[in-house]
Parts: sequence; C-alpha cells; structure tokens
Amino acid sequence: MQRFAYGVPIIAALAAFPFAVAEYPILVVVEVIIFAIYSMGINFLLGYAGLVSLGHAMFLGLGGYGLGIFSVLIGWPVLPAMAATLLIVALIAFVVGYVCTRTSGIEFLLITLAVSQMLYGLAVKTRWTGGDDGLPGLPRPDLTWLGIDVSSVTGLYFYVVGVALIVMWLVWRLVNSPFGSVLVGIRENEKRMIALGYNVTWYKVVAFTISGVVSGAAGLLLGQKLYFVNPDIMTWMISGEGLLMVIIGGRQYFIGPLLGAAFFVILKEQLSAITQNYIIFFGLFFMAVVALFRTGLAGFFIGLATRRSASAADRTDTHDIAGEADSARAPASHRPAE
Amino acid sequence: MDLFLLHLLNGLQLSMLVFLLAVGLTLIFGLMDIFNLAHGAFYTVGAYAGLTIFRMTESFWIALALAPILPFVLGAAFQYFFLQPLVLKGRSSHLDLALFTFGFMFVTMGTIELLFGPAYATIVVPAELQGGVHILGITYPFYRLFIIGLGLTVAAVLWLVLDHTVFGAIVRAGVDNREMVVGMGVNISLVFALVFGIGTALAGLAGVIAAPVLSIFSQMGLSILITAFIVVIIGGLGNFKGSFYGAIIVGMVETLIQAYLPELQLFAIYILLAVVMFVRPQGLFGPKKQTL
Repeated sequence: MQRFAYGVPIIAALAAFPFAVAEYPILVVVEVIIFAIYSMGINFLLGYAGLVSLGHAMFLGLGGYGLGIFSVLIGWPVLPAMAATLLIVALIAFVVGYVCTRTSGIEFLLITLAVSQMLYGLAVKTRWTGGDDGLPGLPRPDLTWLGIDVSSVTGLYFYVVGVALIVMWLVWRLVNSPFGSVLVGIRENEKRMIALGYNVTWYKVVAFTISGVVSGAAGLLLGQKLYFVNPDIMTWMISGEGLLMVIIGGRQYFIGPLLGAAFFVILKEQLSAITQNYIIFFGLFFMAVVALFRTGLAGFFIGLATRRSASAADRTDTHDIAGEADSARAPASHRPAE
Repeated sequence: MDLFLLHLLNGLQLSMLVFLLAVGLTLIFGLMDIFNLAHGAFYTVGAYAGLTIFRMTESFWIALALAPILPFVLGAAFQYFFLQPLVLKGRSSHLDLALFTFGFMFVTMGTIELLFGPAYATIVVPAELQGGVHILGITYPFYRLFIIGLGLTVAAVLWLVLDHTVFGAIVRAGVDNREMVVGMGVNISLVFALVFGIGTALAGLAGVIAAPVLSIFSQMGLSILITAFIVVIIGGLGNFKGSFYGAIIVGMVETLIQAYLPELQLFAIYILLAVVMFVRPQGLFGPKKQTL
C-alpha cells in the first residue's frame, strides 16, 4: 500500500511532464530513460551478480543493428522485427556470456571489453549494414491504436516511458525473485553457493543473457529515437559511460542506474555548453565515488531518507523504529559487494 | 619469402611496443594486485611529453631520454598518494581499485585533450635513424629495427634487474609473499610506488618511440592498451616472462593476419583471446590455478 502511495505521484508526474515543458527537455528526458535502461542492464550484472562488464555497448549496438537488419534490410514489420531483435540479442548474449562468465573480476571486465571491440570492428567492416556510415531509416512502432503518435516528441516520450516501465517492472521482479537472491549469493560467496548445490555457471550465463537483453532493448529504443544506428554507439567509451552511470548512481540499488543516467545525461548537456572536456569532471566524480562514497547517489539519498524518517520517529518511539530503520538501510540485497 | 620476413619484422616491432605496455601492467598486478586500466593514459602522457620536449629542443634523443620521467613521477605519485592509501584503508576490492584507475584514465585523457586539443601530431625520425637497412635481401626501415632493439634491451635489462639484483629479489618476494617482505623491514609502499612508476615510465617510453611510426592524438593509448590487455591475459596476469612471450604471439598474429587474411584483421587477436580463455583461463604461461 505504501509503495502504491509513492507510485501515484510518480506516474502522474511522468504523464504530466511533456505537457509542462518545451520539446528539448522532453528529448533530454527520453535520452535519460534510454540510458537508464541501458545502465540497468549493466547493473543487473554488476550490482547483483558482482560482474563488472566493460563491453555492454555491444548490446546497445546489437539492439539498433538488429532492428535495422530485420526491418530496413529484410523488410519485416516493426513489431516482429523488434521481437526478432531481442531474440537474437538474447542468443548472442547467451553465447558471449557462456565464454565470458568462465572468468570473473578483472579478466571478466577485459574479455567483455575485447568481445565488444570485436563486434565494433564487425559493425565498421560490414558493408551491407552501411559500415562506418551506419544504417538509417529505423522505424518506430505504430501506436495509433493507443492514441499515441510516436513520430511526435510527446508520443516518443510516452512510448519510451511505457517500455521503460515494463522493463523496470520485469527487472524488479527478477531481482526480488529467488533467482535474484541466488545471484546476490554468488556475488557474496560463490563457493558457498556451489556448496549449496547451485549451478553457479548457469546462473551467471542466464544473468548475463538477461543483462544483455535489457541493454539491447535500450539500443533498440535509441535507434528508434534517432531513426539511425551507427558503430559509434558500440565504442568502449559508451561502455565506460554506462559504467560511470551505474557507479555514480549507486550499484546494488535498483534506482541507482536511473539516478546515474539522469545525472550523467543532464550534467553532460550542461557541461558540453561550457567545455568539450566534460569527461574530466565525470572521471573525477567517478574516482570520488569509488574511493569515498561507495553507495553512490542512490545510497546518499536513501541514507538521507531513512535518517529523516528515523529522526522523525525518534520523537515518538525510539526503540522500535531505530531497529526498523537499520534494517531498511541494509536489506540483504542492498549490501555493498566486496 | 622476402615479404614474409618483412611481416615478421613488423610483427616483432609491434610485439616490442606492446611488450613495453604489458610488462608494466603485469608487474603492477603481480606485485600490488592492482589492474591499472589507466596504463594507456600513461602511454599517451609519455608521447605528449616527448612531443613537447621535441618541439622545444628539436632533438629526438633528449625527448626519448626525458619524456618517461613525467609518466614515472605521475605513476609513482598516483600509487603512493591515492592507490596505496585506498588499499591500506582496506575497504576497496580489486575491482574498486581497477575502477579507480579507470576514472583516472578519463581524467588524464580529458586533461591532455584540454591542453593539446584533438589534433594529430608526430615526432620526426632523427637523421641518424632514417633510411633502411639491407638484411637478407630486403630493405627494412632502420627506425623500426631500433624499436625492436630497444624493446629487446628493455626486456633483457628488466630480466637482469628482476633476477639478479636485490631490488628484483624484493619485487619477486613481494609477488610471492607480501607480509614476509614487510616483516623483513622493507618499505613496501616505496617499492610499490617505484614499481608502479617504472611500469608507467615504460608505457611512456613506448609512447615516445611509437610517436614517429604512429600518430600522436589524445586517445592513442586506447587501442594499443586493449592489445596489451590481451597480452597480459594470454601471458598470465602477473607473469613477467608470460608478458614477453604473450607480446610476441599477439604481435605476430596481428601482423601476419593483417598481411595474409585482412578480412579477419579486426578479430584475430580477440579470437585468440577467446580460445585461450576457453582452454586455459589462467593464461598460457601462468601456473595452473586452483579450481573451486
């Protein structure tokens, strides 16, 4: 019931937003949401399974190119093309995950980087998808039956928000399912999970696949937003930026990627007006978060909220609520990984 | 046959450049358990330091001699004032430290771009090293032979230092059992800073000697860094000799594939990496890891 009470104003704000502002801020928010989905995919591995990927831009690219290949080059209608794209992304993520999850830690980070560089090379080299120039003409789905004109900025906004809500709901269900708990168990103590009889390898491969599909969905949306896909979105820089978003936003928090993406995209907009070298600031910020504020923005805000509710409760009943606030601050799935 | 020899020499030249990066990475990892994702930034810093000195003095040799000092100081200070305190605080995992260096790479690259702009630059090959040499019926650029020679010299000197000096003994002991070395009264923080600095100085040296062959630009450290990553994984993380053999394998594969199977050029070393990961995740030259 309490969660419902939070949800209503958020949904209302999301619905009212595009009518309150000009087109440009709406496009910025669309970009925030797309990158939030992208980094949510990264965080599914990083925050829950404890695997740091530096190659997720490959899924961003695969999502865009998949849609381009099925709809523009083969000529399928939009929805089957989107479904086929997600299926192909899942297959590729499964194969890549099968190889990559044999390693962990630094090796995992490097091998995902290598695989994404390889796919980037493939995208640059392949002539029939436009090579370096990219593939134009990516279609958006027809949502007139919902009364939404997706070719307009407002329509695009509602479409992207809708997809984002579905993806977030699915990811939320997954991380709070027994499957999610097993992943956290692997992150915290892999040997123990093996001893408990879990097939750790397969859990990791499946987690990698899901993570890839989520980021691939973001790539699909990004391609639809731009009507275009090119190899630039598959560079390691984009993988790195995704990692920046997750870490700055707060790994292991469900809303971390969302906060990180908002922070990153909006600050980048602002800084780009002043200097082309915005990346210095993100680098410094990133170092500060890694070294000092390990829970990121999400941890900071949640800490503030629980502290306030705890001190408000202090006035009525000290003992009860203090204990509750403690458990709210560190539920099992939110504990920082070591 | 002549062409093949040419490709072999080119491969060796690339191997030596990559080795200069990989050896620092692997030494730092072996000794400190820190994977320095910013290593490519030091390569770039070295190249730009060399470029600046070259523009001021018009001398390649002075640039070559002085440029590695900046990455050395920068690397040693980075380790001593940032990484080591983080390690001592004990809250940061391996991955946190690697991510910390990742942020540092963004900062360094951004700073270089701020100072020098995105334009390409180059250092001219000095007159003494211009021209070609006749070997076994082919003419090969003298400068590239110089790179090969320098790389082999560095490898030999490092081997001598690691295997036959007290400092080398301390480093090797540090790799095997850090607590023991501290117990013997060695100032390990200083050793760490020195080794980190030597590693980043070698990366900077690679940047300077690569400058006349490859162009200098703010992101030059990236592609070669990924190649160096592949080398250290194939050679086994923390394995000095592995990084040398790994560099030769990767350099040769890259060059020969580029020459004979250009369609595969962008994938060859990644396929090599994937195969190695699949067969021996601990690297070709690493000791067999204990399985879970």
